[in-house]
Amino acid sequence: MRERDLTSDEPVIRLDRVGLSYGPENDVLADVSLQLRPGSMTFLTGPSGAGKSTLLKLAYLALRPTAGRVSMFGVDTTRLARKDLAPLRRRIGVVFQEFRLLDHLTAYENAALPLRVLGQHEKAYRDDVIELLKWVGLGDRLDARPATLSGGEKQRVAIARAVVVKPDLIIADEPTGNVDEEMGDRLYRLFRELNKRLNTTVLIATHDLALVRKAKTDVLRLADGMVVRVPALADPAPGAPA
Amino acid sequence: MKPSLAPLLPKEDAREAALFFVVCALCFLAALSGLVARSAYSAAGEWTDQVTGQITIRVRGDDAVTARAVDLVKEAPDIISARALDRAEAEELLRPWLGPTGVPADLPLPHLIAAESSPASTGAGGAGERLSAILKAANIDATVDDHIVWSEDVKRATDSAGLIALVAVGLLGATGLAVIAFATHATLLARRDIVELLHLTGAKDSFISSLFEQRFLMLGVQAGALGALLAFGAAAFTLFLVKQSDQQIWLLPQLSLSLADGLILGVSPLVAGIASMLAAKVTVMRSLSDMV
Repeated sequence: MRERDLTSDEPVIRLDRVGLSYGPENDVLADVSLQLRPGSMTFLTGPSGAGKSTLLKLAYLALRPTAGRVSMFGVDTTRLARKDLAPLRRRIGVVFQEFRLLDHLTAYENAALPLRVLGQHEKAYRDDVIELLKWVGLGDRLDARPATLSGGEKQRVAIARAVVVKPDLIIADEPTGNVDEEMGDRLYRLFRELNKRLNTTVLIATHDLALVRKAKTDVLRLADGMVVRVPALADPAPGAPA
Repeated sequence: MKPSLAPLLPKEDAREAALFFVVCALCFLAALSGLVARSAYSAAGEWTDQVTGQITIRVRGDDAVTARAVDLVKEAPDIISARALDRAEAEELLRPWLGPTGVPADLPLPHLIAAESSPASTGAGGAGERLSAILKAANIDATVDDHIVWSEDVKRATDSAGLIALVAVGLLGATGLAVIAFATHATLLARRDIVELLHLTGAKDSFISSLFEQRFLMLGVQAGALGALLAFGAAAFTLFLVKQSDQQIWLLPQLSLSLADGLILGVSPLVAGIASMLAAKVTVMRSLSDMV
């Protein structure tokens, strides 16, 4: 595992009064401030269209804010040159809502993609990637292409791809949105294990409150363009809707 | 499991086949234009070399006057040799105009003297002008032609042909670059998913660009090689036709396949490949600069 160069109290993500708008009177995020500590596991909730995906895009450096400051791993990215963002992105593993697997690559090749980007030789990582895919339950689907995989299998390949470089931060956008409850539980346990075993900071955007309740961990709620931190959700009363 | 990894940028068979054809055709035309340009310059050089230093003198008078003129020419400065042409040689010179049946026996022919001067003494104020003055001073009615006007006309014509061919090469090259840039842009748009994913995974711009550069380098080299091969075939076929013909075609014998032609044909695929690669690189880097 790569040595982490974060001090124990340096936030992995820090947003200071961040705003993002797509033009006049089209604010997606108004005044968002938050920070995630290393090794934390946090859920980001909120109604559809609240801007969860946009906030995640700011965190995985796909967007720049139109106001405020975004710091990643202690580095203020707001005015950072484009070329200096790539090294930061390599410390982030992203599980996209729509998977973003490459159709012409096998499950093994998709999972190994970030290692190819890093210029590593296949011999050096082959066994590790196979082991990782076995760990996510896809040991027998190494050569399968995305078109032949189920939603849950695709999601697990996407997770394998996100964690294959052992990133400091994993960001997942609705990782259980396309799978059934049982698969959702399995995926959650994967994230939890990554968080516990590798001390990886995990940020998951979801509207699956049942999952959030099970997790009993930090929850950020995004509504009206602002974020509030809420205590871990309690289990609903018997008979109440999830 | 498969032994080798699939390329990150998948092949786009239909689009690439069309692009391959276009680059191949452009390279064929560019190589052919290059051959024509080289032939034109080569022909101009050979023709002017052939007449440089050659002087033809037409004497209006009998054999005695012609003999006196030959003596005067031989003694003139910068003249290497001089001799009077006999009737058979004069008839041979007229054959292209009068045909193979020959010159009628009763047709009077001019008295001609063929002289050779040192190449350095050609042009204005050279051996030709001096001979005119010498013969005039000796009261010999003669016209001296050192072929300068003709060779300059030929040179001007072949230089123009060569220039036009070079402009054609330039235009074809520019068209090729534009086509490659357009195709790269289309591929970028079609595979934006891959580009974005690689970008968000932390790939540097140079890494993403290299995927396109390698693809278009290979395409350019392969299409260029086929285009050059076709140009070679066209040139060889033209030469074959010329050699099969009984007629003397005064321009085409210059269209040979020399070492210089081989160089043009050999370099074409490399130029096509490198130009394709650079066009792809510029296009990709420009597109990537729009991303965060």
